[in-house]
Amino acid sequence: MKNNIRVERAIKDITQGDLAEKVGVSRQTINTIESNKYVPSTVLALKIARVFGKPLEDIFMLEDRD
Amino acid sequence: MKPHFLFPYWCRYLGWGLVIAHVPMSMIGRAHGMINPLDNPPTESLFTGEHLFFICTSLVMALGLFIVAFSREKIEDEQIWHVRLDSLRWAIYINYLVLIASLIFIYDTAHILELNLWVPLIFFIIRFRWAIFRLNRSLSREG
Repeated sequence: MKNNIRVERAIKDITQGDLAEKVGVSRQTINTIESNKYVPSTVLALKIARVFGKPLEDIFMLEDRD
Repeated sequence: MKPHFLFPYWCRYLGWGLVIAHVPMSMIGRAHGMINPLDNPPTESLFTGEHLFFICTSLVMALGLFIVAFSREKIEDEQIWHVRLDSLRWAIYINYLVLIASLIFIYDTAHILELNLWVPLIFFIIRFRWAIFRLNRSLSREG
C-alpha cells in the first residue's frame, strides 16, 4: 500500500511531528508510514485522513502486489 | 489504540537496577561459599541458606529482565506494539531452538531450566531495542 502523506503534509504545511501529535503516535511511526515501511491500522489511517480532511482513498492507495 | 497492560515507563530503570544489583549479590554470595544449588542439588529441605540465596539472585535477575522487557515506551503506539510482538515471536523461536539443541546435546536438565529463564527475555530485549534503534536511526537520517 502506498500513500501521499508527504504531499498532503506539504500542502497543509505541517511537519511529521505535528501530524504525529494530532493522531497520537510517535514521529517514527509517521516517518515509516511515509516511506512505506509500515502499514497503519485502519483506525490510524482514518485518523490521518481526517487530519487532512480528505477521504481515506485519496491518501492511501492499494498497489498491484497488494 | 486499546490500552494493553505494561509497566510504566520509569519501571525500565527499576528493572535495570535489579539486573545490575544481581551481580554484586551473587558475587558476595559466592564469596561466602553459597553455590548454585543446581550445581549441587540440596537433598534435605527447601528454604535452606543456599536455596534462599538461589531464589534471591535468580529471581532478582529474572524479575529485572521481565520488568525491562515489559515497560512502556515513552510513546507506546501501534508500531511499537507491532515491533514488540515481532520481537516476542523471534524470542520464542530462539528459545525453542536453544531448548531443543540443549535437550539433544546436553545431559544436564537443571541448567537447561536456568537457561530457559534468561534466553527468551534477554533475546526479546536485544531484538526489541535493536528494532527501536533502527527506527530512530532512519528518522535521524531523514532529518
